[in-house]
Amino acid sequence: MAKLDTSGVALRPDELRKIEAALGREPSVVELHAFDAQWSEHCSYKSSRHHLKALPTKGHDVVLGPGEDSGIVHLGEHNGERYGIVIAHESHNHPSQVVPFEGAATGIGGIVRDVLCMGAEVIAVADPLRFGNVDDPHSHARYVAQAAVDGISAYGNAIGVPNMAGDVYFDERFDDNCLVNVVALGIVKESEIIHSYAPKDADGWDIILVGKATDPSGFGGASFSSLTLDAADEDSNKGAVQVPDPFLKNVLMRASYAVFAYLRANNLTVGYKDLGAGGIMGCSAEICSAGGYGASIDLTKVNVALDGLKPEVIAIGETQERLIWTVPASITPEILRIYNEEFTLPQIAYNARAVVIGKVTNDKRYVLRHRGKIVMDVDIDVLTGSIRDELPFEAHQPGPAPTEYPFVTGVQLDELLERVLAHGDVASREPLYRRYDAVVRGATVIPRGAADAGVLAPVPGSPLGVALAVAGNPRFGHIDARLAAQHAVYEAVRSVVAVGAKPVALTDCLNFGNPRKVEHYTELVDAIDGLATAANAFETPFVSGNVSLYNEASNGKAIPASAIVSCVGALQDVSHVVTMSFKAAGSVLYFVGRPQEALGGSVVLDVLGRHEARLPLIDYAAILPQHALMQAAARAGLLRSAHDIGSGGLIVAVCEMAFPTLTRGHKAIGAQIDDPWQWTHGRVGNIEALFGEAGGFVIEVSANDVEAFEGLADDVEGVYEIGVTIGEPVLAVEDEAFDLRRLRDLWERPLREVYP
Amino acid sequence: MKRRIAVVIFPGTNSEGETVRLLRDCGGDAHLVHWSRSVTLPEYDAYVLPGGFAYEDRIRAGAIAAHDSMMDHVIDGATAGKLVFGICNGAQVLLEAGLVPGTGEVRRPTAAFTRNAPVPHFVNAFVWVKLAIAPSRCRITASLPEGALIPAWSSHGEGRLAADEAHLREIEAGGHVAFQFAHADGSVDAGAVPNGSALGVAGLVNREGNVLAIMPHPERDGWTFNHPDRRRGDDILAPSGGAVLFKSFVEAVNQA
Repeated sequence: MAKLDTSGVALRPDELRKIEAALGREPSVVELHAFDAQWSEHCSYKSSRHHLKALPTKGHDVVLGPGEDSGIVHLGEHNGERYGIVIAHESHNHPSQVVPFEGAATGIGGIVRDVLCMGAEVIAVADPLRFGNVDDPHSHARYVAQAAVDGISAYGNAIGVPNMAGDVYFDERFDDNCLVNVVALGIVKESEIIHSYAPKDADGWDIILVGKATDPSGFGGASFSSLTLDAADEDSNKGAVQVPDPFLKNVLMRASYAVFAYLRANNLTVGYKDLGAGGIMGCSAEICSAGGYGASIDLTKVNVALDGLKPEVIAIGETQERLIWTVPASITPEILRIYNEEFTLPQIAYNARAVVIGKVTNDKRYVLRHRGKIVMDVDIDVLTGSIRDELPFEAHQPGPAPTEYPFVTGVQLDELLERVLAHGDVASREPLYRRYDAVVRGATVIPRGAADAGVLAPVPGSPLGVALAVAGNPRFGHIDARLAAQHAVYEAVRSVVAVGAKPVALTDCLNFGNPRKVEHYTELVDAIDGLATAANAFETPFVSGNVSLYNEASNGKAIPASAIVSCVGALQDVSHVVTMSFKAAGSVLYFVGRPQEALGGSVVLDVLGRHEARLPLIDYAAILPQHALMQAAARAGLLRSAHDIGSGGLIVAVCEMAFPTLTRGHKAIGAQIDDPWQWTHGRVGNIEALFGEAGGFVIEVSANDVEAFEGLADDVEGVYEIGVTIGEPVLAVEDEAFDLRRLRDLWERPLREVYP
Repeated sequence: MKRRIAVVIFPGTNSEGETVRLLRDCGGDAHLVHWSRSVTLPEYDAYVLPGGFAYEDRIRAGAIAAHDSMMDHVIDGATAGKLVFGICNGAQVLLEAGLVPGTGEVRRPTAAFTRNAPVPHFVNAFVWVKLAIAPSRCRITASLPEGALIPAWSSHGEGRLAADEAHLREIEAGGHVAFQFAHADGSVDAGAVPNGSALGVAGLVNREGNVLAIMPHPERDGWTFNHPDRRRGDDILAPSGGAVLFKSFVEAVNQA
């Protein structure tokens, strides 16, 4: 017998021996590729799962924690019905680096299916992006940054799902390995959730595959995501990337909504799951094993795009736009009718359809047949069970000693401000996000860019609101993975608080380098610890997440530690939302937060070409009352505007609150900021006060409401009156005045070159 | 009496949900009619073609949908004087079907909403559109005030009106320019046009005044909670802003 060909397989020799021991024989070709996918880092979380247990995942509002295709958190009630927000968060990093348009588009496509299959209506997407240095118009990094955004835009717009949040950073350390993270939200009545497993008494049920005809695209995608990118393999890597079809997805979503309505009307419980990594095999094995069943599938029944596909390609290839149902055979004809006749799937895309491919069994075997022959027959729990890699990491190093203070630049404030505003991580994001439809579905309350978090009213006829923000600063991640992860949680939570919402759930995507290198694995372990610390402090659990490792180029250059976090906020009444732009002249401006000396990872140091290894610390005991104050003030209608302080610091936040008022038809509103030395009481220098990135908010309070606001703020530490708004397009700091229109032009220009 | 409005769904339509909701909130008896149910279309009194990417916008936005059998019924209805209202992709379909400006033959378009200029990308932007005809010139706008300024979202990659010189003159002289892009203060100039559209056109009406095609989406600023300038104490769930055009349409349908 010929030796098994293991080329193109990421399994290690010790893992191959483990498989042989479990089977009692050498695996077949199909089995080899099946285990390659299921035991890949991408599917198995083998080096992260035991650390992820440290994350808090339970809470009063958690309806469904991590474990299925999406998490679900309680939003509120309307007409006696409880509504949940469904959320999922993933990466599509390697595909987006190799084929950015398709890679990023299929990222959106995949995350949308994760939310859809919970029985939810998909209401929003978000896209945290990390691109390389885009200064050179002819660089691959510039091409990736443009094409990935075009892919997200083309896909999200076509399916009719608004893009409500996101962020982007540019850093040469992402030149060879961009990050394209994607988040999707759905809305579901909590009584109508569909789970990602075959429910009880499902023995003998039909397994229905629905969607695009299976083709050879995306074969080996899971293990491709679990290897480092090698430029020499570019062509074979391209074959591992899937092909998006948002047109088909648009119809598939609407057909699925029709199936949901049918199931509701008939009070039926079934299983529904997205096909992602591992294709038909991965999805059918997981939906059945999670219910305690086995599965028997005939690959010959699968609708294919061309003849002659090998069984391992049909079984494991990652063709997009497919899902699997497990349903009682009695309703199969109606499901097939809805997809194939009412929504005419076969006329939407070549050979797209819903088709029965097998049965749920109760013998715990996972069996695949192809042309009458058994090509796979394994214990389903061995295939989908948890495997674990114990890898070495180092104990956390204490932070570095303080450096020079107070900080002296020798650069004038106006020049410094201009350079900070034109920095790639600060400049206006509008040229990018205006490519995205932010308002389709008609539920948008705050579109992207008008505040720190996007806000939707997802339940027609109800004032309930959902807020969403993402965060994860790579300038921080490069310095300290643990503290950067805490800052990611703090910033995501802070952004949601800034619009007046209550943070109710978090998701994370952990984007790191090769876990078999001690320094990168240490970063991953540290980051998880940081996420847990912050999530516990904010009493906001993680309900969904994803891990993406091996983010480095073949030359071993790894990305900055990138724990990217999203935060969902709940609003009982969207009347209370707070936006970012100044509303009137003569208001009082406050800084809510704590000025700190540490400038490590700040934009101001970057523009000066300086470095400091000290990140701002997070004082949770001080922050929690500040957030409670923000929420109370928002509810009481005392906040005319609010903006979280992030990249570029307080002075950038003030500018960004003024810029929207400079548009035609508005009355220009600027600001007079008092001498920082006075309002910080000499605690920090002016550079630290104005450009520090320790967090907090700038808020605008009407002069008439000052008494009421200060009454609420009475016992809260870290509330500083810093100035007033003025009826002119001017930013004045102490006795220096800057032309806001000029500053706005400098701020708007940089990304227009990349996204004209 | 209330007459029945069909919201026509092609494969690829994506704005049907909010369109039917706002029509209902404005008093319309609106129903979704799916492409596999196209034979029922003659039973309806008026048609709304919502936004999206019908047939993936292949060839040119709206070009394939204009030849769908659904459009046989819409064209018959329009010819018989029924009201037809197309928004964004629906507007593109109406131009490709030759119903607006209606200066040529059916399905032989004389003008198109095509690729934005100078930047040929999809752009999502809050805009104002201004009624550029006497309200009664178009039955759908008949209850709007003269020069009505309506908030909307311009969300498209192909919304630039393009036609040859002769047809553009015909469009202008024939009073087909129903809406133009405008600034917040109501002034109209090239700076208010987000897509390079000829004559600053945001919407067109046919000669008979029963078919209106508008590129920006009034329904995306159709409830108070959508408005950036909402105030505390407003009824946030009430139809407002862009809803005025929907109300005017529903009134016209129910009077017909």
